[in-house]
Amino acid sequence: MNHERIVGTSVPRKEGREKVTGRARYVDDMILPDMLYGATVRSQIPRGRIGKITFDSSIAWNEFVIVSAKDIPGKNCIALIGDDQPCLTSEFVNHPEEPILLLAHPDRHMLRKAVEAVSIEYEPLPAVFTIEESERGSQVIWGADNTFKTYRIEKGDVDAVWATADYIVAGEYSTGAQEQLYIENNGMIAAFDAEQGITVWGSLQCPYYVHKALMTLCSLPAERVRVVQMETGGAFGGKEDYPSIIAGHAALLAIKSGRPVKIVYDRAEDMAATTKRHPSRTRHRTAVSKDGKILGGEIEFTIDGGAYATLSSVVLSRGAIHAGGPYYWPNVRIRAKAVATNMPPHGAFRGFGAPQSVFAMERHMDRIAQVVGLSPIELRRRNFLEPGETTTTEQTVREPIDLGKLLDRAVSLSDYHSKKERFWIENQSGTTRKGMGIAAFLHGAGFTGSGERYLSSVVGVEGCADGGVCVLVSSTEFGQGTKTVLCQIAAEALGLRYEDVTIAQPDTTQVPNSGPTVASRTVMVVGKLVESAARGIRQTLTSAGTLGESYSADEFRAACRSHIAAHGQLRSWAQYEPPPDIFWDDQNYRGEAYAAYSWAVYVAEVAIDLTTYSVSVNDFVALQEVGKVLHPVLAIGQIAGGVAQGIGFALFERVIWQKGRMQNSQMTNYIMPTSSDLPPIRVFFEELGNVHGAFGAKGIGELPMDGPAPAILNAVEDALGVRFDSIPLLPEDILEAITARSLESESDVVGEVR
Amino acid sequence: MSNSPGSCAKSEMSFTVNGERKTLVAFPMERLLDVLRQQLGLTGAKEGCGEGECGSCSVLMDGVLVNSCLVPVLQAQGTSIVTIEGLAAGRQLHALQEAFLECGGAQCGICTPGMILAACHLLSKKPEPTLEEIQEGLSGNLCRCTGYLQIFEAVARAAHYGMAQSSS
Amino acid sequence: MRSDPRDYELVAPGSLQAVLALLARNPGEWLAIAGGTDVMVQYAAGKLPARKLISIWNLAELRNIEVRANEIRIGAASTYTDIREHEVIAREFSMLARAAHWTGGIANQNRGTIGGNIVNASPAADSLPALLAYDAELILVSVRGERRLPYAGFHTDYKKTRLAPDELIQAVCLSRRYSGYVCHARKVGSRNAQAIAKVCIAALGRVASGTVEDVRIALGSVAPVPLRLSETERVVTGKVIDESLVSLARKAAVAEIRPIDDIRSTAKYRAAVAGNLVAEFLNLLKDEKDVSNVLRRWNGVPIDDAAAQILPCCGSRAWAREMATRRPFKDEATLLAVSDEMWRNLIASDWMEAFGSHPRIGASSAHGSSAQQSAAWAMQEQKEVADAGDAVKIALAEGNREYEQKFGHIFIVRATGKSAEEILQILRRRLKNDARAELFEAAEQQRQITQIRLRKWLQG
Repeated sequence: MNHERIVGTSVPRKEGREKVTGRARYVDDMILPDMLYGATVRSQIPRGRIGKITFDSSIAWNEFVIVSAKDIPGKNCIALIGDDQPCLTSEFVNHPEEPILLLAHPDRHMLRKAVEAVSIEYEPLPAVFTIEESERGSQVIWGADNTFKTYRIEKGDVDAVWATADYIVAGEYSTGAQEQLYIENNGMIAAFDAEQGITVWGSLQCPYYVHKALMTLCSLPAERVRVVQMETGGAFGGKEDYPSIIAGHAALLAIKSGRPVKIVYDRAEDMAATTKRHPSRTRHRTAVSKDGKILGGEIEFTIDGGAYATLSSVVLSRGAIHAGGPYYWPNVRIRAKAVATNMPPHGAFRGFGAPQSVFAMERHMDRIAQVVGLSPIELRRRNFLEPGETTTTEQTVREPIDLGKLLDRAVSLSDYHSKKERFWIENQSGTTRKGMGIAAFLHGAGFTGSGERYLSSVVGVEGCADGGVCVLVSSTEFGQGTKTVLCQIAAEALGLRYEDVTIAQPDTTQVPNSGPTVASRTVMVVGKLVESAARGIRQTLTSAGTLGESYSADEFRAACRSHIAAHGQLRSWAQYEPPPDIFWDDQNYRGEAYAAYSWAVYVAEVAIDLTTYSVSVNDFVALQEVGKVLHPVLAIGQIAGGVAQGIGFALFERVIWQKGRMQNSQMTNYIMPTSSDLPPIRVFFEELGNVHGAFGAKGIGELPMDGPAPAILNAVEDALGVRFDSIPLLPEDILEAITARSLESESDVVGEVR
Repeated sequence: MSNSPGSCAKSEMSFTVNGERKTLVAFPMERLLDVLRQQLGLTGAKEGCGEGECGSCSVLMDGVLVNSCLVPVLQAQGTSIVTIEGLAAGRQLHALQEAFLECGGAQCGICTPGMILAACHLLSKKPEPTLEEIQEGLSGNLCRCTGYLQIFEAVARAAHYGMAQSSS
Repeated sequence: MRSDPRDYELVAPGSLQAVLALLARNPGEWLAIAGGTDVMVQYAAGKLPARKLISIWNLAELRNIEVRANEIRIGAASTYTDIREHEVIAREFSMLARAAHWTGGIANQNRGTIGGNIVNASPAADSLPALLAYDAELILVSVRGERRLPYAGFHTDYKKTRLAPDELIQAVCLSRRYSGYVCHARKVGSRNAQAIAKVCIAALGRVASGTVEDVRIALGSVAPVPLRLSETERVVTGKVIDESLVSLARKAAVAEIRPIDDIRSTAKYRAAVAGNLVAEFLNLLKDEKDVSNVLRRWNGVPIDDAAAQILPCCGSRAWAREMATRRPFKDEATLLAVSDEMWRNLIASDWMEAFGSHPRIGASSAHGSSAQQSAAWAMQEQKEVADAGDAVKIALAEGNREYEQKFGHIFIVRATGKSAEEILQILRRRLKNDARAELFEAAEQQRQITQIRLRKWLQG
């Protein structure tokens, strides 16, 4: 098997036919006999003590199942990393939309009325809604000082560089919350049986996260909790930890009622109550030499975690590690902090902290370029990491990546220079201003540092009675192509046809824990294990003598069939083993943060209409080095989709908060781009291979989220000569800045110039 | 308008769905979407937003694209409805379905039924649409996964298949 | 879905008469629902106070578009798609067609209706500024009969109208008198499709010698109701458009509007953009004076009239019909280019028809239709021939007869600027051509003649 026949080609999506014929089964498509529908009574205030609860007599409450915290058989918490988040709160409320009671009824239509008929009295407490308010500490709403987690990354001697700098450049950058807006809302069905225990079916990314949470909540052993993933209509991280909550709710109702219970949110509830991207604030202070080299700097990276810790420590970690970008920092101090506010807890969203810190870094690079008097291209070129150099966590770059060349290629593909020349002339007149902007970045694949070791993922490949093989993983498909790519990998590893390989629907009674489907790890980490497990199957057959060293697909099938007939089953497992050369120091946050990085340069062309102050992206080039492209159509799809979300993050998607509650929780008011709002997104790949990933592939799922926002804002500044450091950037903001500029003089936040 | 209660009687209604005549009993203000999904078991049309913004509930009603979450079932009385389930002819997929499979037009699949029907409606009016016409024709169908790129390609390819077919 | 269908009654009596009877019996109790694109959204959100609904969807009496000589009547239950796809609306009331095309997505355009847009009375509604600018009138109907009132003033306050509890809008009437006007419609939303307007403009104007003769400017989303900027119109009417007038108009517009901060945008933004849109319109009006009035008017007349009006330039009815179908033309250059294209695509018999519409070179009259204008031009074109000496005229007459005998049609030549002797020489050369070559040469001459005539025609 020397050259690849399946990996690297765009084979048909494994579950594609079901999707285009409308036969794919999502959770709301399933009905169980005797099923009840569930709904959640939620807090209307951001913080306070719960007082009297009244059930209005207009409802026939005897028809309802009502669950409160007292009904929880196990521990009243959503077990994830910490255990501070209650499943149902009973005494104190810490954010709007916090779940208090659960109701179930056989008739779906009765639920809304019932929820509205529950009145809850509160004694409000002062609440905290922003990072600054949280830092001020006048209200301590979590722990000792509202701080979920801090990290400190130090390299070299930052304090010594200020004196040697020719320029000190400072800047502050901020990003807002962003709603994942998967088109399928969160939903779960739970059923309980005294013997079998709890079974849940639902829209989710991580079956074993839900499994663990239910064990704790329902006080059940592992073998009496079963989690089955149904076809999932988009996730983007929004179904990483939240499903544990909705599954817990459905389970509690199922336990109390003895009947299956379905809870499916409508759009308004999903938007208002579930997780969003962490808002962030990043402060840079950088010492730069007169020829534009970064001598050192301080980066303060702060994210708003909402009311409970949930995943904030991990988002913080990734954001902090990516905060320095793809540049060489001889000296750096990164102080990262996740703080608590009285908002619904923020959670995972594609990129997971990196889009926030990369936004800041790439805006800051353009600022440094201005101060030093270099072009954005040249400044980056002079600071790019080179193989053999170390990152901010002192990880040596071992890949033969040439970022300068990648930059050159992106510049050429986007026609950057000739467009800039043309725009300089065109911008002298008319009502449109055009500009070009660049972002260069990296994205680590897999869990940070010791994370993969901790996960210790297990993957199985099993021979089937018909001679084909089946991949057993808990990694889920939610559009990104998990099923397709893992089957490609197994087929390639075994020398079979793509059609000979199937993949089991993730069901915790059927598949091992291959870890969560997050962190751009599926192809690289899980795929590599699938490759191993597949080779294990072949090994078994060749050792048994039923298969030669080389064989046809049909010969394999025959050998597999006869093996199963003789031995009852044919299975092979593979478990993650950390590569011997990956060292991570969790205490000092230093070392090999990720086994591999993908690298990218994105270029945006924008036009601002001075009549309406709106920005349109007219062209977008997304160039990335990803190790190996296992499936061209899927890979392009991932990048295009991620860039679209990045454009939304930059220019359209604003969450309007009022006292911690999302005001625009409707699709008509939370604005995501339509087909008429996006440019043709031009996607290009480079492939350097990678020893750690399956067939040399690295992760690409989250990478495209990091680049668009800074590239676009850099382009806007290029077009208008006005600086914007906060996203989302709306026409109203541009109007404000343009009118303010005509009042104030422009002042550069430079600090000292030596 | 006064808020005096409506009288809530079910009525019998019939309409054609995917070529088959259906007669059923429903409250007149039940949404067509819910009647299709729950009474007729045609779960291809999805509820993504309930407010006519996302298009994942789109169906064809008398040949015309509508958001079924905004149609009271009484107004569907006597009409001919086509859902995604009615597009393929047995095992033979519709050109759009083939094209979506080839071009990566479906990722998570939740917007796909509505998107394909919207494309179908577009091609019935404009067999050789320009990119701009495709963008406009699909502007009421939101996709969060693809960035629309491969969806446009799929529609253009299906148009090409259609032209090739009609000229042969 | 936050409402219980059991709590709602929906009836569909099936005729306008039956609907009106029910409305009359219990005025105020029934809410009319057409395509449901507003009502059903409120219903799904659990925010529909009305419990009794009466369907007027697809009622034949309300869903038709009637083209009369002086006005067009758009049935209130006409959908945005009906409006977009109607040829006369697309040509004569383009701002309304544009508003229809930027409302929601295709699915919502297929169900949303103009009547619904008016009665729902949101100040952000897409089609309302256009109706104001076109000075629309409404026909309201009830069991008590019909009444007709100007659309201006129909909205009395935020989401309030003059519609009586037992009434429906039957039709929207638009007077067919805007073909000579320059129009500008633009919607500013949060994205390019499926957006509620932050600001929306529909404006019409007519300029003569750089002076504003008539102007109508309407804006949406800048007040509790859609707004005609009458003060701004006053400031601008009768004045020459220059930079200082545009600046004055911008200030007047900002002073007239009452925008607010809301979930979609800010008052400041709306004011700034409204001012910009008014300025944009006036600048367009200023630049438009270069476009021939003849062309602008011709763009807007009914198709039969258009074909008849342009026929004398060429003589081929097929060509005239094609040209009329290809409207509107944005400028002279496009018209001339399309004329050539159309001419080249005709078949021989159409060319012959065009040839036949000319008088013989040297003769004073021609057979064929639209003779008067054609004859007048022919006389101008053949001016030099008319002044020639008798010997040349006799030679030309003989040559014409010989030509007709050989080729079966009269001799066509672009006579403008040519002397009689020159024409005689050309005639003698072409007599030697074979039939096919001659047909093409004659057609080319006719093409040139048509170009000259079109230019003259556009100069008015």
